[in-house]
Amino acid sequence: MSSKHSIVGKNLQKVDGFKLVTGRPAFTDDIYLPGMLYGKILPSPHAHARIKRIDTRKAKELRGVHAVLTYKDVPRVPHTTAGQSWPEPSPYDTYLLDSKMRLVGDRVAAVAAESRAIAEEALRLIEVEYEVLPAILEIEQATADGAPVIHDEPDATGIHDAQHNVAGYILKEIGNVEDGFLESDLVIEREFRTQRQQHCPIEPHVTISWLDSDNRLVIRTSTQVPYHTRRQVAMILQIPVQRVHVVKPRIGGGFGGKQEMLLEDICGALALATHRPVKIEYTREEEFYMARSRHPQILNIKMGVKRDGTLMANKMTVLATTGAYGSHANTVQGNTGSKVLPIYRTPNMRFECHVVYTNTPVAGAFRGYGCPQGYFAQESVMDEIAYTLGMDPVELRKKNMIRLGDIDELSAQLGEGRKGLPRHIRSCGLPECLERGAAAIDWVRKRQEFSNVGPNGVRPLGERRSPLHPESGHLRRGVGVACSMQGSGIAGVDWAAALLKLNEDGSFNLQVGAADLGTGADTVLGQIAAETLGVTLDKMIVCSGDTDFTPFDVGAYASSTTIISGGAVKKASEKVRDHLLLLASKMLDIPVDNLTCRENMVVTKCECEKSVSMEDLAHFAMCKEKVQVMENASHWNTDSPPPFCAQFAEVEVDTETGQIRVVHLVTAVDLGVAINPMQAEGQSEGAVAQSLGYALTEEMVLDASGRVINPSFLDYKMLTAKDMPKLTTILVETEEPLGPYGAKSISEIPINAPAPAVANAVFHAIGVRFQKLPIRPEDVLRALRDKELSSPQRR
Amino acid sequence: MFDHIERFYRPTTLREALLLLRKVGKHGRVVAGATDIVTQADRSSRFLIDINHLGLSYIRGNNRGCLIGATTTMAGIELSPVTIAFAGGILAKAASTCGSIQNRNMATVGGNLANASPAADTAVVLLALDAQVRVANSRRSRKIALTEFYSGPHRTVLNGELLREIIIPALPGGGRLGWSFQKLGRTETDISLVNAAAGLQIDARGRIKWARIALGAVGPTPLRARIAEDLLLGNTFNEDLLARAGEAVMREVSPIGDGRASAEYRREMSGVLARRALRECATQAGCKL
Amino acid sequence: MSDFHLDFIVNGEIKHWTIAPGDLLLDVLRREGYFGVKRGCETGECGACTVLVNGKPINSCLMFAAQAEGCEILTIEGVAEGEKLDPLQEAFLEYGAVQCGYCTPGMILSAKALLAEHPDPTEAQVREALGGNFCRCTGYLKPVEAIMAAARVYRQVGPSGARPKAERRSALLGKKR
Repeated sequence: MSSKHSIVGKNLQKVDGFKLVTGRPAFTDDIYLPGMLYGKILPSPHAHARIKRIDTRKAKELRGVHAVLTYKDVPRVPHTTAGQSWPEPSPYDTYLLDSKMRLVGDRVAAVAAESRAIAEEALRLIEVEYEVLPAILEIEQATADGAPVIHDEPDATGIHDAQHNVAGYILKEIGNVEDGFLESDLVIEREFRTQRQQHCPIEPHVTISWLDSDNRLVIRTSTQVPYHTRRQVAMILQIPVQRVHVVKPRIGGGFGGKQEMLLEDICGALALATHRPVKIEYTREEEFYMARSRHPQILNIKMGVKRDGTLMANKMTVLATTGAYGSHANTVQGNTGSKVLPIYRTPNMRFECHVVYTNTPVAGAFRGYGCPQGYFAQESVMDEIAYTLGMDPVELRKKNMIRLGDIDELSAQLGEGRKGLPRHIRSCGLPECLERGAAAIDWVRKRQEFSNVGPNGVRPLGERRSPLHPESGHLRRGVGVACSMQGSGIAGVDWAAALLKLNEDGSFNLQVGAADLGTGADTVLGQIAAETLGVTLDKMIVCSGDTDFTPFDVGAYASSTTIISGGAVKKASEKVRDHLLLLASKMLDIPVDNLTCRENMVVTKCECEKSVSMEDLAHFAMCKEKVQVMENASHWNTDSPPPFCAQFAEVEVDTETGQIRVVHLVTAVDLGVAINPMQAEGQSEGAVAQSLGYALTEEMVLDASGRVINPSFLDYKMLTAKDMPKLTTILVETEEPLGPYGAKSISEIPINAPAPAVANAVFHAIGVRFQKLPIRPEDVLRALRDKELSSPQRR
Repeated sequence: MFDHIERFYRPTTLREALLLLRKVGKHGRVVAGATDIVTQADRSSRFLIDINHLGLSYIRGNNRGCLIGATTTMAGIELSPVTIAFAGGILAKAASTCGSIQNRNMATVGGNLANASPAADTAVVLLALDAQVRVANSRRSRKIALTEFYSGPHRTVLNGELLREIIIPALPGGGRLGWSFQKLGRTETDISLVNAAAGLQIDARGRIKWARIALGAVGPTPLRARIAEDLLLGNTFNEDLLARAGEAVMREVSPIGDGRASAEYRREMSGVLARRALRECATQAGCKL
Repeated sequence: MSDFHLDFIVNGEIKHWTIAPGDLLLDVLRREGYFGVKRGCETGECGACTVLVNGKPINSCLMFAAQAEGCEILTIEGVAEGEKLDPLQEAFLEYGAVQCGYCTPGMILSAKALLAEHPDPTEAQVREALGGNFCRCTGYLKPVEAIMAAARVYRQVGPSGARPKAERRSALLGKKR
């Protein structure tokens, strides 16, 4: 990577790396508190039921049990668990404990006991009589006539149409799509279905809560959103915000599943009830059905294009389910529209979405946030358009893609939950992403070589291809492409602050509310500060995610940390730098204009080479001048500069077993400027792994009673080290004016397009399109059989 | 999770273990690798008997066959020069696919058999190798053919007995043997969706003198595809015979559908894996198609 | 319930712990302060709880602590020598193989066991060694690169920390109680 900076752009080791490779206590559960109790939640066995009677006497009498809570024991405060800025754009339809159960795994009661075994025994002693209600498990049933009403409680707010189980509804249009279709030479309409995917952070959700010596409620928790959690817990437990102290230690992965106030309220309630520290940690099984997951969607997409490949109209109609509660219901699906359709300059775009309740595991934020679903649909149809028109899929995208200088109006209509702002494209590396990605996978040659249809890989309009090339044995190869964009922070909503304090030895404390969930945020923010101050990274002590000791930050989501938290860090660092230069000017008796910070020193810009070390300057400030150099700054953006990505997949399909093996996955991503290229690559590679699982193996499966039948790693299959293909990651740098040192974001975008890239590659290999995820071997076999039966083989 | 365990026994002789087993009866669980016990959290157990110190971890092989102690780990079988050399190494290969390295370092072949999963990889190979198991309780010791060992899904004929040894008889004499183990999973370290083990002996004229095909995860227990075996015996190995053998296997199996795969897919894959296994056997046996 | 008296070695130190007979090794280690041994699934799938028992990687969530009697355990806390990091730890940092770090102790131990047997591993062997260590952050590429790099360092300067030897074990433990 070329870098005109000394710290930014360098592959520096993580500031928290030492404790992670040595296994030092750093995560939520890595402490022992005397007297700590073990908390556990009794999950509902029914997908939809009311509690007719609940008797906790025997449980309470069990030796070692300190508290048993039911809906009768706690305040009823409607809220959302979504970690979002207030007022949250998600329905307030959730309760700490309720008398109505809306999914298998909903909270019936909670206990705190002296050991895990006693807590589990206590759960077994709670007697519950349920009135079982008919449940809605399928998305399409939610709005049917006579369907049971899942949220019939009078005190819920923000639900679009509770009587018909519609949590949210979105409709936005630019131009007129029907006119656009009339002007099109080719119109393709397809339906796509995506599944429930689980984050599977290797560290499950865990929270420990206690009352400190000042009788304040401390919540030590694995969270991406400490500040939102503080606010929500205070509201739910009806205690003042100032009485709540949220601490975020190292987190073992989140991916959006921890952008949620999940255990903190119930854990806090148990701590208040027992006056003892209480720990609740999910088992892996509970993590599957009592945490969050990706919204399943049915997407109907209709795209119209002229013969020369110019897109005229794009109409996407989505039916999604948010599960039993509406956390992130409107905003995830809003993203499916706002971050997907506008990647192409289509004059007529329409996005309509119903988000419905079902009695199924609750969906929430998950890396990509609505984009993986939308891009699977859109990029598959783009591939079909290219094939039908006889165009190279890469050329079709180049022809239509959004460009530098464009303004995306759809975003203005589809802000995340509130009126958005138009998006100006001030940096765009998508053309280069397509070029370099195509070269890396050897696109042109492989499109031809693997094609069983002709010398150019170009198909005349309307001609069908034969599914199996007899000479190739039972293995077929193909390559496919897909593009995507995302955002960097929520415009006008996400904000962050940073506090920077000088120590007498020339080191700095950087206090940020930002939540490093393994993303390397602490390191990236430290690099931004160090660069601005002209010091080395080891001079930065980064402290993050503590509501008492770090300033506000919305938290880690929406790919906001580098650009928003980083923006605050840069501003605060500039203020500190300016103050340092003033002090140095006084100390050295040299005008400020002639001074600059570099290599842990303040030096003159001119040739006279006078300088002072940061350590001496700090000493001067604190001992002589008696001033604490310390500055803070807040930052937000009025825009959300999108990163761009082109991803290419090479696959090999075994036509006897239906198994799809991904041979190579190339990611070319425009992230603005890479503050730490190595960490950025790592983020991309992990996102790709999750997307390949989304494409091929991962799915939470429910039985007829609404229970998850595969709540374990034995049967929820993620790709392991032995399954991963060759990965190539190309960081394409552009300079984004709104980002610190030109940075945008990278943490989400690479998860958006590998699934359609793989699906498109599979089409190239065997001539079959898959419109449902995951693409399982038996789906491939069935499709090959159907194709054989429906069209004669051609040689 | 195991708070109800009152005692953890570590006997050092087989006799001691068998007496303990009789004493604790249905309140006791035998611990070998522990990999199946812990995940099946049986709350009724009160006693655990660790059988890893009875001298039952060994692999001995000669031209009269192989003897494998029940507490030999999968890793032990995977890496033993004896099993790598025996029968084309298919037992070592099967062991090497039993989960991750961590699993294989603990899981034992005896535990794998006694747990009686229909998908157990070692069971399928051992069926193809005509294996027997030696079991014992405090009163008697007996040998059971592996084909008689399973009484249903996750059920064996063990009656208060300990599985102590696996006995693999000598392979057919005269050379020209070929072996294969095939496995299908959703990912590389998956439990088998379908697995197959096969052995063929083919004479110089391409006639099949000896045939074994065993499959797992396609019936209530691991099974021998005897109809397919009979179809092969005495006939010349060729593409047509291979295809017919595959079809016979598909008719012989009785898979169920579950969250991992549908019954139809398993049935179809039993044919695919059987054909692939037989083809590999034939190639190894020196028969060119 | 009768206690089980566990005599074994953890990171080179002799331990005499009194445990419940049904205690799992993972729980006992964490209870005694070895927080580097992580809880991820409790079903022997994810490998976050990996420790070395007599040099072999196992899932401590699936092992009864009593089974470890007389054994030598290595946890991540025993990998570095004081503040001097093992080449594996250094490589993980240098190659960006650590993101959230939750799977890292397990991976490093699995890698350590691999390199003790295969000082010059192929990429396939490294991936096999990591097959039971799930990571949701990295996509495994950088951990593989880090392990290959550490292998090169080991071949030059040797690993830190000796492999456990049976003779050393019995010498340390002496007679059992």
